[in-house]
Amino acid sequence: MAEAVRAAVELFVNPTRLSMLVLGSAVGLLIGVLPGMGGIVAVAILLPFMIKLDPFSALAMATGALAVVHTSDTITSVLIGAPGSAAAVPTMMEGHPMARRGEAARALSAAYLSSLVGGILGAVGLTLSIPIARPLVLSFGSPELFLLTVLGVSFAGSLLGKEPLKGLAAGLLGLLLGTVGPAPAAAEVRFAFGQVYLTDGIDLGLVALGIFGVAEVVSLLARGGAVAQRLELGRGWWEGVLDVWRHRWLVLRGALIGMWAGVLPAIGATAGTLMAYGHAVATSRDRSRFGKGDVRGIIAPEAANNAVEAGDLVPTLLFGVPGSAPSAMILGALLAYGILPGPRIVTEHLDLIYTVVWSFALANVLGAGVMFAASPLLARLTHVPFPRIAPPIVLAMVLASFQKTQHFGDLVTLVVLGVVGYALKVTGWPRGPLLIGFVLSNPLERYYFLTVKLYPRPEEWLLRPGVVVIGLLVLAPFAWSAVRWLRTRGRAQAEVRGQRPGPGAVATAAVLGVFAYAWWQATGFLPDAALMPVSVAALGTVLSALQLVRELRGQASPLRDEDEGEAAEEAVGPRVLRAVGYLASLAVYVLATWFLGIRWASVLWSLWFLRGVARLSWPTAAVYAAVLVAALELVASVLGLYLPAGRLRL
Amino acid sequence: MKRLSVWAVLLAVLAALPAGAQQPYYAGKTIEILVPFAAGGGSDIDARFFAQFFEKHVPGNPRVLVRNMPGGGSVLGANFFAENARADGTQLLATSASTIIPYILGLPQVRYDPAKWELIKVNGVGGIVYVSPRTGVRKPEDLARPAERLVYGGISATGLDLVTLLLFEVLGLDVRVVMGFEGRGPARLAFERGETNIDYQTTPAYLSQVVPLVREGKAVPILSMGFVNEKGVMVRDPSAPDLPSAYEAYQALFKRKPDGLLRWKAYQSMVAAAFTFQKALWAPAGTPPEALQALRTAVDRMRADPQFQQQAKQILEGYEVFRGDVAKPAVLRATRITLDVKKFITDLLRSKYQVRL
Repeated sequence: MAEAVRAAVELFVNPTRLSMLVLGSAVGLLIGVLPGMGGIVAVAILLPFMIKLDPFSALAMATGALAVVHTSDTITSVLIGAPGSAAAVPTMMEGHPMARRGEAARALSAAYLSSLVGGILGAVGLTLSIPIARPLVLSFGSPELFLLTVLGVSFAGSLLGKEPLKGLAAGLLGLLLGTVGPAPAAAEVRFAFGQVYLTDGIDLGLVALGIFGVAEVVSLLARGGAVAQRLELGRGWWEGVLDVWRHRWLVLRGALIGMWAGVLPAIGATAGTLMAYGHAVATSRDRSRFGKGDVRGIIAPEAANNAVEAGDLVPTLLFGVPGSAPSAMILGALLAYGILPGPRIVTEHLDLIYTVVWSFALANVLGAGVMFAASPLLARLTHVPFPRIAPPIVLAMVLASFQKTQHFGDLVTLVVLGVVGYALKVTGWPRGPLLIGFVLSNPLERYYFLTVKLYPRPEEWLLRPGVVVIGLLVLAPFAWSAVRWLRTRGRAQAEVRGQRPGPGAVATAAVLGVFAYAWWQATGFLPDAALMPVSVAALGTVLSALQLVRELRGQASPLRDEDEGEAAEEAVGPRVLRAVGYLASLAVYVLATWFLGIRWASVLWSLWFLRGVARLSWPTAAVYAAVLVAALELVASVLGLYLPAGRLRL
Repeated sequence: MKRLSVWAVLLAVLAALPAGAQQPYYAGKTIEILVPFAAGGGSDIDARFFAQFFEKHVPGNPRVLVRNMPGGGSVLGANFFAENARADGTQLLATSASTIIPYILGLPQVRYDPAKWELIKVNGVGGIVYVSPRTGVRKPEDLARPAERLVYGGISATGLDLVTLLLFEVLGLDVRVVMGFEGRGPARLAFERGETNIDYQTTPAYLSQVVPLVREGKAVPILSMGFVNEKGVMVRDPSAPDLPSAYEAYQALFKRKPDGLLRWKAYQSMVAAAFTFQKALWAPAGTPPEALQALRTAVDRMRADPQFQQQAKQILEGYEVFRGDVAKPAVLRATRITLDVKKFITDLLRSKYQVRL
């Protein structure tokens, strides 16, 4: 106790530590704003500086950055629909529609307050759990972790939408996408089609950026106008604060889910946030507004994703097993100071641990405060005609996707996923279950195989208390739904106005094709590498075939864009054509990158866009494009990135 | 008088010129170390640690940056380096076992050949094998008759675990191998949970995480993977001098020396390539001799630098750093496995571990 107080006082009083904390938080906030860049980028930037500091200041700095990255990544998620990170996707799915309705300030303030509370609760949880963490984490064996991933995937069940078959198939599609790359349980690389680039699988960040970010940006551009269709109604930010108070228990539950997701291996920040979102949906009586702007869908995930960063520090500090990529870097920094993580850290370096805890809490407060103050200003961006702010966003996404492996494949993947994401969006395929499936695919498979191989006889693990408890948690919602269905079966079914088969059926047929092809391919894999893809693809084939039949018979619900609740000002057709045009321009941009290099491709694309789409005058467009590319260079050099010059070596 | 002073000035200027012309090769330059791994990992930490000392000790004090380029299990970055690196000493590549093992096994996606590169520095890491007290094993001889079936948790049969699998072959152990863990850290957690009963950790992780377990009686160290010296002889791991090496373990189990056995040759090669020489820094073929000279001078200076020695104790766990030109013959010998060894490894992987190469 005395140690804790002393560490807190040291933090506030020592100018170096405090200023490093503030600096780290500032960097974390800035990086969080850029779509696609997360904690690891922030820590990577700070690492060279950290090495020169004393351990306390260095940790304060790194913790400061980590703590606030998920506070600021809300901005682009809500305002533009480009998720700041994969963990910001739920916030985007609920916050962005709110922004379109003119409720941006409400969404943002609810998000920041939830982040703040989640972060503080995370810090508290971190402190409380230190004495009991070791036995706690060790009590979760492979079977329990397997059941946890099953639980995570089951949360997708609450996000299925009006056409359950589509939702399920989307989840299976996500699981299938997750199998691309090295199989966990056998030495086989799946679905790489001979490309070395794919031998590590598809990157989560790219999936979030492409399927959600690019798709949303293109959709916004196609719709035209500014993000917000209506004027800001009243004092939105106060409304957001009230929302958090009204749903305070949801905040708590979200933070708890996030913390546990961080502490336990197998579930990471993204999965934890998605689970919190699914939990918010599952525990709501009135689910009609989810996906169209329900503030509860912001509150739970935002609390979770700040708490999860605190939770991540538990295995990092106490076991030397980093819970996430940024905490791996912190671990590296600790080792460089000769501070060994493990059980001894609690006895030998308690002051360090408390420095981390207090830094985390303080950074959250600072970050939320800064963001709150900036909210009204930021919300005004939603009234600017979108084409004028699209180029920096697009370039930021390109840079973010590129900085991972700096391979051309990153850009190609981004555009391909963008096309897929838009197609799914416009044909009413829910992308939430897809993301959950993708994120949990590897852990699910990995822990399944570890369970059955370490415990060859089923009774060895099926009857473990942890397994039984989590298993009940998995089954409970389904049991509840079944009971409800039985009760309402008697009532007359509402007449579903059928829809003639159209583009929706084409999309379903395409999905069916993907599943069938994957099924066929997967049968050629090694047995342990084939189990998962074959099961997923077979089930997916069946479900999408059933859905196709429904659509061809005209039994399916009318096709709706995911963004409902907007006045349909014009027919869908021209809008989709425009979107396709923008996607095509991105494809051309990527092609240009191959030949001319990123700088020139960016200049040319920006000029075309600013002149042709945003309709700016030549001088304005030229200056704007030049500033953009200069900013690109600046950010790239700060991040230590190398912008390739393209084949023609310009 | 005036003419004399003019000549004096001219002479002074001429005398100063050669000193100016002998500018160090790297003065004003920037060296980029390409790390084909994600930031924060072991190879990245190693590279960044050396980066600061290269900055300090390379004549001319160039700036030294680290650039991460993960992907394809480090193969992407190594391919990129082989195909694009500038041969002027401003681009270097940091490799680890996962870059070298695919090369040794001749996997098709490998488009690089380290034999063509210039080695700048190499340092290694050791591996310590330990068991659960439940197995009743206290010394290598006991491994032949454990009280319960040995269960080992690994990551991938074509990664660093390959060395462990070869060790099991050499010692004739009957182990149930469960692959699929995300890393050695989670595998160690499984050991602590009692799901596995034999494990290895690299020395840094062993010293920080397993030694407390040993003290609590929850883990029993048995042997070290062993270190292969420049003469190609396996010696005890310098960080665990009390533990018998794999060589001695074999002797204890079978009462004779393993030299000449095919499986021993395979094991020793892989231990050398994957552990003893794990962290290597390379320059591309065609790098000018002045650059190589400057870099190697830096390695010598580093080795003598007390600050380096102090920090290396933490980061490198006290293992020695070798100058590239001195160690290169041994390193290449380790990576050049003979055809019979290669066949042995391929057959083993296919028959026991369902790996198709």
